[in-house]
Order: sequence, then C-alpha cells, then structure tokens
Amino acid sequence: MVSVLELPFLCIIGTLVAAFCMPVLARWKRNFCAPLATIVTGAVFITTIIIAYHVMHGEPIRYAVSGWAPPWGIEIVVESLSSMMLMLLSGISFLILIFSFPAIKHEMEHKVIGWYYTAFLLTLAGMMGLVISNDIFNFYVFIEVTGLGACSLVAAKGTRQATEAALKYLLLATIGSGFILFGIGFLYMITGHLNLTFIAQELALVKDSYPFLIWTSLSFFTVGFGVKAALFPLHLWLPDAHSSAASPSSAVLSSLVVKVYIIAFLKILLIAFGLEIFHETFIRHLILVLSIIAMLAGSFFAFVQIELKRRLAYSTVAQVGYIFLGIGLGTPWGLAAGMLHIVVHAFMKTCLFLTAGAFYYQTGIKKVNQFAGMGYKMPITMGAFTIAAFSMVGIPLFGGFISKYGLALGSLEADLPLIILVIIISGLLNATYYFPIIGQAYFSQDGEEHSHGHSSHAEDNRNNAHAEHETPGKFQIDQVPLSMLVPIVILALGIIYLGISPGIVLDFINKTVVALL
Amino acid sequence: MHDYVTRVVFRYMLLFVLLYGVYVIMHGHLSPGGGFSGGMIIGLGLLLYILIFGQLWNDSFRQMIIDAAIIFVGIGGILEVSKFLIPHEHGPIGVTGTLFSVGIISVANFGIGVLVASTILGIYYMISEEA
Amino acid sequence: MNLELLFVNFPYFVAIILFSLGTLIVLTQTNLIKKVIGINILQSAIFLFFIILGDIQGGVPPIYDPNFPDALYVNPLPSTLMLTGIVVSFSVTAFALALIVKLYLFYGTICAPNFMKLK
Repeated sequence: MVSVLELPFLCIIGTLVAAFCMPVLARWKRNFCAPLATIVTGAVFITTIIIAYHVMHGEPIRYAVSGWAPPWGIEIVVESLSSMMLMLLSGISFLILIFSFPAIKHEMEHKVIGWYYTAFLLTLAGMMGLVISNDIFNFYVFIEVTGLGACSLVAAKGTRQATEAALKYLLLATIGSGFILFGIGFLYMITGHLNLTFIAQELALVKDSYPFLIWTSLSFFTVGFGVKAALFPLHLWLPDAHSSAASPSSAVLSSLVVKVYIIAFLKILLIAFGLEIFHETFIRHLILVLSIIAMLAGSFFAFVQIELKRRLAYSTVAQVGYIFLGIGLGTPWGLAAGMLHIVVHAFMKTCLFLTAGAFYYQTGIKKVNQFAGMGYKMPITMGAFTIAAFSMVGIPLFGGFISKYGLALGSLEADLPLIILVIIISGLLNATYYFPIIGQAYFSQDGEEHSHGHSSHAEDNRNNAHAEHETPGKFQIDQVPLSMLVPIVILALGIIYLGISPGIVLDFINKTVVALL
Repeated sequence: MHDYVTRVVFRYMLLFVLLYGVYVIMHGHLSPGGGFSGGMIIGLGLLLYILIFGQLWNDSFRQMIIDAAIIFVGIGGILEVSKFLIPHEHGPIGVTGTLFSVGIISVANFGIGVLVASTILGIYYMISEEA
Repeated sequence: MNLELLFVNFPYFVAIILFSLGTLIVLTQTNLIKKVIGINILQSAIFLFFIILGDIQGGVPPIYDPNFPDALYVNPLPSTLMLTGIVVSFSVTAFALALIVKLYLFYGTICAPNFMKLK
C-alpha cells in the first residue's frame, strides 16, 4: 500500500512516464494522446488534493527519496504553500489541457501534437518537482527540465517567429540557470551542504565569517532567478516567447512557469538565507526598486502594443513586479499578498490567454482594435475576458483587488506608504489598456455602423449564412467548442470566488508565512 | 565520405570503440565512468560509422530506429528510476573490486547507457529528417 | 595588493573569467553557432568552478584502495553533480542546434541580424 508520504514523488514519476509514452503513442494512435495526457493530469490533480488535505490537517510531508537520510540523500518537503502550489499547477494544467483538445489542432501542425503533449507534461513534472524539492541541486535539475520543456512548448508551433523566440528564450534561460548554478556553488562552498534545512543551520553559525561570499551568492541567485522569472530589465525574452507560442502554451508559460521560479527563489531566500540576512543585505532594496520599475514600465510597454497576446505578455512583466514587490517588502502581509497574487494571477492570465485563443479560434482576430461588437458575437468568452480584466485592474469583488489591498497593507507595515501610490498608478495604467478593448466590444459605434452596412448587405442575400453569422449587434451564443468554453467559465468563476472569499487560499499561505517569519 | 584512410581505419576501429563503451558501462561502480560516459562512447561510435559509411538504411527502417530509440529512452529512464525506488536497506552492498556484486545498480547503469546511445542516434536522425 | 592570494586561488579567477567571456559571447556575437559555443564556454566555466570546489591539496581520487585505508580523498560530490550538469549542457546544445537548423531552413543564413525581427 502506498502511504501518503510517497504520493508527491509518485506524482512526478507518473507525469514523467506519461510524458515519454506520448511520442510513441503519437506514432500509432495520434488521437489518444490528448485524452491520456488529460487523464494523467486529472489523476495528479486529485492526488494533490489528497496531499493538501493531509498537509492542512497534520504535519508537513518529509520524505527521503530511496531511504537515504537528508544530509546525504534527496529530501522532498511539502508544507502548506507547496501543497497549494501543487494543486494550482496540476489544476490549471488540467483546465489548459481540456482547452487544448480543439485549440491545438487548430493552431499547430498535426505531426507535432504528440511532442506538444510530451513538452507539456515534462514542464508540469519539472514545475512540481521545483515546488516540492528541498535539495538545492535538485532545484537546478528541475529548473533545466522546466526550461527545456517551456522552450519546446514555444518551438512546437513551428512558425518562423516561434522558432526565433524559442532560440532567444533558450539562450537567455541558459545564462540564467548558469547564474543560479554559480550561486549554488557559492552556497555549497560556504556551508558544505545541499539540503536547504542544513544550509540554514550551517549558515546561521558561519555567516559572520563570510560576508562577501554570502553577498556574492545572493546576487548571483537574484540575477539568475531574475532572468528566469522576467524581473523587469531582464525580461527581454518574455514578450516574444509568450506572444508567438500557441495560446494554450502561452497560458501555461505565462501563468505557471514564471511563478515557480519565484517560489524557488523565495525558498532559497527565506529558508536557506533566512530573513535576517535578507534584511541586512541590499538585495531587498534592489528587488524593491526593480519591482517598482517593473510595475510601471511593464504597464507602459503593454499600453503601446497593438497585438493582443503581446499586450498580455507585457502585462505579465508588470504582474511579476507585483509579486516581487511582495517579496521585497519582507513583511507578513507583503509576503502573503505576493503569494496570493501568484494564485490570482495564475487564474487571471490563464483566463485571458485562453479567451485570446478562443477569439482567434472563432474569428481569427489578433489585434486589439478589431474587437468591435465582440460582446454580442461571443458573449460568454467576452464576459470571462471582462471579469479577468476587471480583476487585473483591481476592482473590488474580483480576485486582483484582494492581493493589491494586501500589498498596500504590507507597504504600510514596512513604513513605505509611497508604494501605495505606485500600486494605484499601475492599476490605472492596467485600466487604460484593458478598458478600451472592453468598451470597444460592448459599446463601439464603429462596429455598429459597420454592422448596419453589413446587415443590410446580409438582408439582400439571406441565404449567405456566413454573412449572417458575422452580423454584430445581434445577440448570439459563442461558436467555439464546449471544451474551450468550460475551462474559461471555470476560471472566470474562480476569479470571482477568490475575490469574494479568499479565506481558503489565505489559510494555506498564512501557515507558511507564520512558519517562515 | 569517400576518404579511403578513414573508411579502412574505422572499419577495424568500430568494434573496439563499442567494446570500450561496454567496458566503461560495466565498470561504472568500480572506476570513473558509468552509464552516461559509456553510452556516449557507444552512441558516438555508431554516429561516426553512419557519418563515414553514409546512410545505409531506407526511410521506413529509419522510422523504426527512431521509435526504438524513444522506447529505449523510456526503458532506460524506468531502470534509472528503479535505482531510487528500491530502498538502499534492501539493495546489495557490493564487494570492492568485484564486477558482478551490485545487482540493480549494474542494471540501472546499463539502462542509462542504452538511453544515452539511443538519444544521440535519435537526435541525429530527427535533425537529418528535418533538413 | 596581495598577489599571493591571486596565485593560490587562480583556478577560481579562471572560472570567473571564462564565465564572463561566455556570457559576453552569447550576448554580443551575431553568428548563432558562436552563440551556442558561448553557452558551452559558460557552462564549462561552471563545471571547472565546481570541480575546484571539491579539490583538496594532496588528495587522491576517491576510489577505495584496500592497500591504503586512510588515504586523503578529494570530495567526489561536486564532480558527480557536474556529471548531471554535463548532461544538461549536452541537451541544451542539442536543442539549440536543432532550432538553428530549423532557422537555417527558413532563412538560408545563421547570422542573427538578417532575420531577428522580433524586438
């Protein structure tokens, strides 16, 4: 009988085995790939719910792989934040995989479908491993697995732009992981351990002897994870990669892959180095300044983009700034709000990218100025887009408001009240680039004039079903498959639920924050 | 490649390259080396053979090679995982300097070797398929 | 200026210099193959760094020899870790080269400024 301690390990192994079954299966029965990947991810999601229940009502899971005790072997630790992240990763991946059924056939060549699912499951396994591992070199391995999987997800689309973006992503991500590996080397040099718990114990004893080495190691980690998580001046790869990939790939890249690097950074920063060193060094101030610049500049860059997915990608740069702001504040509310924003942003950005994919599926539009009358053509999808955009701006009753409110409380705790001003300005900038799309979709005069011309034309030849289908101003239901609509609706409802009662997520986060501080 | 010297020399060398690869894999637990290095030697030896003597195989056979490579990657991965799944208390300890004394670790090393060799051939064939 | 420190620790300096050179090559060269070579230089620098970490002056390779039961062994762990690093480096190189082959089929060149239209 499998005990609950082994479940997290089996999740990763199961996902990896399924990933390697995909290309072989694709050669025989290509249509079986998508259901199998979805079933495996669904099973992993159910398993993670069991793990989360166990962790919330008991001790954190500590499991030594293959029975080797921690200082020598690899240890897996699942505390409440990790269990929540496991649920988030597998749940969102499950929804994206359901969405992928029709979308991938529409956006990709048929012969790469098997490889797409391989890359997807590989990325999922890497992300889950990164979240639950407690061994610092394992971090590097899982970072590389996630990075290679993410690059393949971009490259799988097969167009010129996607290939270029994937190469750019690969080169910059490899530099980033090189920096991380150097940081790991310095940490091993100081302490002689690779396990986070033992590093923390050793570092507390010897930290006065090696002030410069600790500083060097921290800065290497900051640059490395900054490249990986697209902290502002190091974000150059992100807009290309996220906008040129297929829309399900963009959703997983933008909502999950960027976040797990932040979780790993947080673990190294707070568990290995500890809050004391974090407050003493200037890294905290560096992160604060960079995140404030990211919040403003990311929104500015998003404002000038014409293409919808590029605008969403730059918006991710700004939102990563919010999360890093929570880390940089270093107070209980700041950290909790930063972690909450990871969850909320995963919901919002997945919803936005999936709706972008649905718009492209039905109408083929990619630009933000083509949305006239979209609220009547695709009411359900546009409604979900509106909810996610409202949440992005930070309107009360939507999920984004709670995390921004928490960040404001955190900046009051840290005696930096001016940051509230920055949060408000950034929220207003978000409004300036989301509201024109929504306004155009529901109230556009242009679209109605256009539609009048079109509808009179349509009356002339009634039998032309396509022209009638194009008619805006007339309310009609979405024409996309049900398996695309269901994930979008679930995500939109999730955003509203997070906005009304964020208590269950905050319970998970508070347990970790209390343990860390 | 039509270089006479390369063809003649490599015709006799290939066997030794493969034998050396197997040696490195088998002695993975006794000396530096092991599955990865040995598999690399075998894979590169086969790759050199293909580069020098040309593509001897037709398309359908090449598809089969890629399939087999992928399956071997999977089998090797599972064997490697088995090293971690079996707790060390139940595994054999091994005797210093004795070749066949570690049981599952030798099997895992062999799996890694097959994995690496078939990965190299698979990568080569996939790239040459694209180009 | 303590020159002796520099001589004692010179492998670390070599590692750092190689790392900087690799990063510079990746970021500034326009030929894509040279960029991949830069990646390899960068990663080799890290391997060098880790292997120096495990070194002990006068240590012997960590292979058990019954004739010398209390020999001073160097630390084998960083070298073992770098075996994983080499595998990762290998796969990154293979992936980058595959992408470059594909780009060459699209554009007929491997010189970045000719086609990098993305900003």
